[in-house]
Amino acid sequence: MATPAIQIGATGVDAARLVREIQDSVAARLQAGDFADPRLAQAERHNLPFLQNDEAFLDYYLQCLREAVTVDINDFEIRERRGRLAPLLVAFKRTIWKLLKFYTYRLWSQQNQVNGLLLAATEELDRKYRDRLQALEARIARLEAERSRET
Amino acid sequence: MARAARIAFLAPRFAEGATVGGAETLLRRLAEHAAAGGREVTFLTTCARDHFSWANAVPAGRRRVGSLDVHFFPVDEDRDIAGFLRVQNLICAGARVSRADERAWLRNSVNSRALYRHLETEGGGYDRIVAGPYLFGITGSAARICPDRTLLVPCLHDEAFARLDIMRELFHTVRGTIFNSEPERELAERLYGALPGRVSVVGMGLDSLTGGDPGAFARRQGIAGPYLAYSGRREPLKGTPLLQDYLELFRARTGRDLKLVLTGSGEIAPAPHVIDLGFVEEAVKHEVMAGAVAFCHPSVNESFGIVLMEAWLNGTPALVHAGGSVLPYHCRRSGGGLWFRCYPEFEAELSILLENTALRDRMGAAGRSYVQAEYSWEAVERRLFAALDAD
Repeated sequence: MATPAIQIGATGVDAARLVREIQDSVAARLQAGDFADPRLAQAERHNLPFLQNDEAFLDYYLQCLREAVTVDINDFEIRERRGRLAPLLVAFKRTIWKLLKFYTYRLWSQQNQVNGLLLAATEELDRKYRDRLQALEARIARLEAERSRET
Repeated sequence: MARAARIAFLAPRFAEGATVGGAETLLRRLAEHAAAGGREVTFLTTCARDHFSWANAVPAGRRRVGSLDVHFFPVDEDRDIAGFLRVQNLICAGARVSRADERAWLRNSVNSRALYRHLETEGGGYDRIVAGPYLFGITGSAARICPDRTLLVPCLHDEAFARLDIMRELFHTVRGTIFNSEPERELAERLYGALPGRVSVVGMGLDSLTGGDPGAFARRQGIAGPYLAYSGRREPLKGTPLLQDYLELFRARTGRDLKLVLTGSGEIAPAPHVIDLGFVEEAVKHEVMAGAVAFCHPSVNESFGIVLMEAWLNGTPALVHAGGSVLPYHCRRSGGGLWFRCYPEFEAELSILLENTALRDRMGAAGRSYVQAEYSWEAVERRLFAALDAD
């Protein structure tokens, strides 16, 4: 049986091992769809420059974008903080929203198309550059092997 | 090994009051301990307080500050700020700039001809000139005046500026380099190859703390639930917008009422669960850290991580971004913290820390032991004096 990374009574914590176990568990949860949440793409926007050299992160971020690609058109909670007038203002805003909702359909359907096209283009670019890098790496390895044979 | 008796420390700003940049604090503390160790120490700096405007804010001249003889020199006011920003923006955007542009950028950074004149006439009287951080014109220019006496304290980050040719020249010009951590040294060798002269890893010492009351801050503020702590500048490079986004999503996804308490300077988007204390006294900062469920340090640009060490001294575990090399290095070695690459890992790790008090205590204690063993002033002074006296 594997020893757990945290042992009560032990002198310290094997943080590397604990992080590895958490990463494995998160990978399994990602596979299972536990993080299929459109809000992740928004939360990860500041993380892109931090992990630009991490290919796994780009895969994950593209997955986040797939979740977030469709505009949320559900009704939303209308709030108002202006004290006594709040119930009246909320009722007014609800009415306006009901009246105008229909006119947003064309906008969001176009926005969804644009989002989908941009995501597809990003995925295609990613695939294209990966293939190209792989081809270049294979070519370098072949040239190095040939050179070592010649010398 | 001859003892370096007369030492000048040089930084673009002097850490005093609200001027508390990490590099400035580091150089001041090292200078104070060198003085306490019987060296004759002079601190050379500028009259600037603000690291954006570099406006001369304090009078020029000499002043005794504690054990230090501090010389304040005026910043040159004929900087071409537009030219500086033009090149800086290009560098930040990852563009390759010419050598002439690199030099112009450094020339229009913070400089002080008065300080350079002092070094030209008096520099020979110092056995060592300990200068940093690497990014500013004043450090590079000073190092070029007395290269054989200069020990560079770069506080190096993995960023576009570090890849400039002038920086490579700087590292290869000086007598030696004093790094804050092993990953910082490794980064320098990756960028500039094997460094000439004496290379040391010193870091900064931390004063031990007497056990404070971890619940004092929360009681005073009326905070009933758990909170995360962050301390330092709030800006994208430090990862604070990322932390805010992550925390908001964590609250929404888990339904936990977890707050964020911040100390330090800079803007932060207001939210009901964000408690911004601004610049506070050290004692308050330590109380905030001591009562937190974890200290979150989402920056990937650190050469040491002073606030991480302070959080550990307060017995608080850390949650750091895996994208940098230094903070995860400290967490791995100490067992005092966890590191995350993306939101799902952040959520999983934070949930574990929230649910497991025994783990939190154990990690906090491991962090504290690490700081006491590696970054007590006794240990740091030993490394610092060896670096200063090295032939």
